[in-house]
Amino acid sequence: MLEVRGLTAGYQGGDVIRDIGFHVDEGEAVMIIGSNGAGKTSLFRAVLGLLQPSSGDVVFQDEGIGGLAAQRIARLGISFVPAERHLFPRMTVQDNLALGAYPNRPDPTTMKVVLDLFPRLAERRRQHAGTMSGGEQQMLAVGRALMSEPRLLVLDEPTTGLAPKLAAEAYQALRALKENGLTILVAEQQVPLAMALSDRGYVLENGVISKEGTSADLAKDPDVRRSYLGIA
Amino acid sequence: MIANLLDGIVLGLQFGLLAGGLTLVYGLGGVLNLAYGQMAVLSAMAVVLSMEAGLAPIPAVAVGLVAGGLLGLLLDLTILRPVYRLQGEARVLLSLLLTLGMAFMVDGFLTWRYPTKALTLRIGGGPVEILGVRMVRGGVVASVITILVLSGLLIFFRKTTLGRAIRSVIEDEQGARLVGIDPQRMLRLILVLTGVLAALVAVTRSLVTPVAVTAGFELTVSALIVTVVGGLGSVGGAIFAGILLGIISTFAASSIGTVLSLIILLLAAAVTILIRPSGLLGVKE
Amino acid sequence: MIEDYTEGTGTAVVGGTEQRASRSLVALLWPIALVGALLSLIPLWLGDSRVMMGVAVLGLTFACYAVGFNLIFGSTGQLFLCVGALAGIGGYGSAILADRVGLPLLLSILLATLASSVFGGLLSWIAVRRSLGVIFTGIITLIFSLVFGNLLLGAAGVTGGDGGFHIQAGADTFLRQTIPPYYLMLALVLIFLLTHGLLRRSHIGWAFRALRDDEVAAELAGVNVALYRVTAAVIGAAMLGLAGSLFALTEGTISPTTYGFAQVDVETMVLLAFGGIGTLFGPVLGAAVFTVINELIQDLGQLRLLVYGALIIALFLWVPRGIIPTMGDLIRRRNE
Repeated sequence: MLEVRGLTAGYQGGDVIRDIGFHVDEGEAVMIIGSNGAGKTSLFRAVLGLLQPSSGDVVFQDEGIGGLAAQRIARLGISFVPAERHLFPRMTVQDNLALGAYPNRPDPTTMKVVLDLFPRLAERRRQHAGTMSGGEQQMLAVGRALMSEPRLLVLDEPTTGLAPKLAAEAYQALRALKENGLTILVAEQQVPLAMALSDRGYVLENGVISKEGTSADLAKDPDVRRSYLGIA
Repeated sequence: MIANLLDGIVLGLQFGLLAGGLTLVYGLGGVLNLAYGQMAVLSAMAVVLSMEAGLAPIPAVAVGLVAGGLLGLLLDLTILRPVYRLQGEARVLLSLLLTLGMAFMVDGFLTWRYPTKALTLRIGGGPVEILGVRMVRGGVVASVITILVLSGLLIFFRKTTLGRAIRSVIEDEQGARLVGIDPQRMLRLILVLTGVLAALVAVTRSLVTPVAVTAGFELTVSALIVTVVGGLGSVGGAIFAGILLGIISTFAASSIGTVLSLIILLLAAAVTILIRPSGLLGVKE
Repeated sequence: MIEDYTEGTGTAVVGGTEQRASRSLVALLWPIALVGALLSLIPLWLGDSRVMMGVAVLGLTFACYAVGFNLIFGSTGQLFLCVGALAGIGGYGSAILADRVGLPLLLSILLATLASSVFGGLLSWIAVRRSLGVIFTGIITLIFSLVFGNLLLGAAGVTGGDGGFHIQAGADTFLRQTIPPYYLMLALVLIFLLTHGLLRRSHIGWAFRALRDDEVAAELAGVNVALYRVTAAVIGAAMLGLAGSLFALTEGTISPTTYGFAQVDVETMVLLAFGGIGTLFGPVLGAAVFTVINELIQDLGQLRLLVYGALIIALFLWVPRGIIPTMGDLIRRRNE
């Protein structure tokens, strides 16, 4: 479904990610794990058109999308939930969700699915997004991303700033989405949570992919256990 | 007393409409359009020339509105192109300098080609009585038009998908891109829309007082001050501040004369900005 | 005259500090001396024409305005849209004190300059206290300009209103001759350049650069942002006031348009942006180029404005950052 080959990108100071290759198949959940500063955010920004790649290919459903503007990629069926969420703070929950369906009017069925998934959002439909708690904002960000009925949902560190209980809840919601057939790509520092969700994973270290495998295999890998699972 | 209040509201609504246009472009695109008053004046001249060519007032006004929109589009397609390549303060500064150059060009052209022309639209019939006060009919009509347009704008921004999409760019440009909104297209749309608004200000103003070829600078400065008092990027704030300053201005003018009243108006604006730098209805960054 | 910010500000090796400082002083002095030498030749060429010398004096006055504005905006990021008003306080202040109050001319100039300086410092202090950003500082100072302009009209009894008045003070001195005013203003330009240059090379200049690049970081590094901003405004406004005052005295007449927003602020901003905001010699280069341009399009009548506008657009499309930084880049690239 999504295939990335030889992707290199960075800022003026130099390349942050180099020669990255990975793929996500239909119906899969794939995780990209790595420590802070490993390049996860830059990788996603480059894949999703927020950062111009200097070389490499990004193919989504047999169509090259490398270097396309973020808004065009969004309309092709990839929804991205960035770590900073980028909600519209002075607009209501409802308006935030409605804009997720842009340029179409929000589909009532989809809206119902989203509100059923996150009942808290239903309670706060008329509240301004900027006045909500971190956990609620995260739900709203995921909800907004789902409104366009994406083929692929990409999340960058969805647990940023969340208490452990809320982080676990967020992953429960993601698991429910996966069981409904949604393809998910997630970057995460809280590796155990991501591991429980995903089928496969990649380890990103200093801007390059150092390991890949099924989540089960990665969980057995001594390096991964030491560095990311805190098990000696 | 009431007469001053009503006059103040008439003036204030026009301030609000004018500032609304400026504030939208700034909020959406980080572009400060210093040729905004000149856009209004050019549209007014389009109306004048159409009427001189034999058009009836209403079609002539329609020509003026279209001209305003086209001017906005022209700005987007020409001198703002290089501005779009910049970010942050450099972007504001370059937009300010280039539109200032545009303003000089327009002023220079108009004072050279049509030095004495002015747009004056008259509405037949005597004064209208409101709250026991006799108001000039033109002023009342201008206010009604302005109120209708402002309400239409508010509904557009709150209730329609396109309106919400435009607001979302002001709120968080990257968030907007992530849901598939193209900020550049929204900005172009808003430039056209504010061009039409500028034309509308010229037309409604001409119902009250002649709009001369030299009015551009004053219109821009009024819009700028009202915009800042209301809060950059806030249309509601622009309207609110417009009415407030309009009322202050007419009260001061009737009691102490125009020069002093202008000074009081300016000081009131300065004090508001100092007390609330984010504007009356703006949100703190 | 290519300016390089980093030159002379590198870390000084222990023991070599003094030598380095004196070398950097020479590096500052010789370009200023060169500018002075070149400009002092102008009267040999145009000295016969009272009109042309007037144009040249106006050009130098704008160079002075631009140095003052550059110190405030270019060095500390405060957009003061009241260059004309601060110069006007100097001009009207000295003319009124000398003519209507009867103070000695020098004292009048001094007091008026002081008044400009105080107003500049006050505006800056307000902006700093309220943490106004560039745009808001611009708006507040723009409002100050408009209030000043309206006060001139309102207090017509003292200021002569729209038409202004003829200044008696200094009428029979060298101030009204053809060539001496030119050298007076030239000396002023050179003194201002030297002042700005010395400020930039002192630790104040280091603070200026730090807070222009990143205000928060500068503050964290212990730079007293407020103090440096206000200091820059006090010195810059004094420059504007003094230049405005001397210009009025050499002209012999004064009116609101002498210091109008459209006439002074717009022109100063445009010529500085053209020369290069934040560069030491941008003001002089910009003033020279725009004086010539203004002279060339003088005969166009109303079309002058149109051409002027087109020029502004063309210049900023061509060199959006100003001529000196752009040239500096070109030369650096060629050397690499």
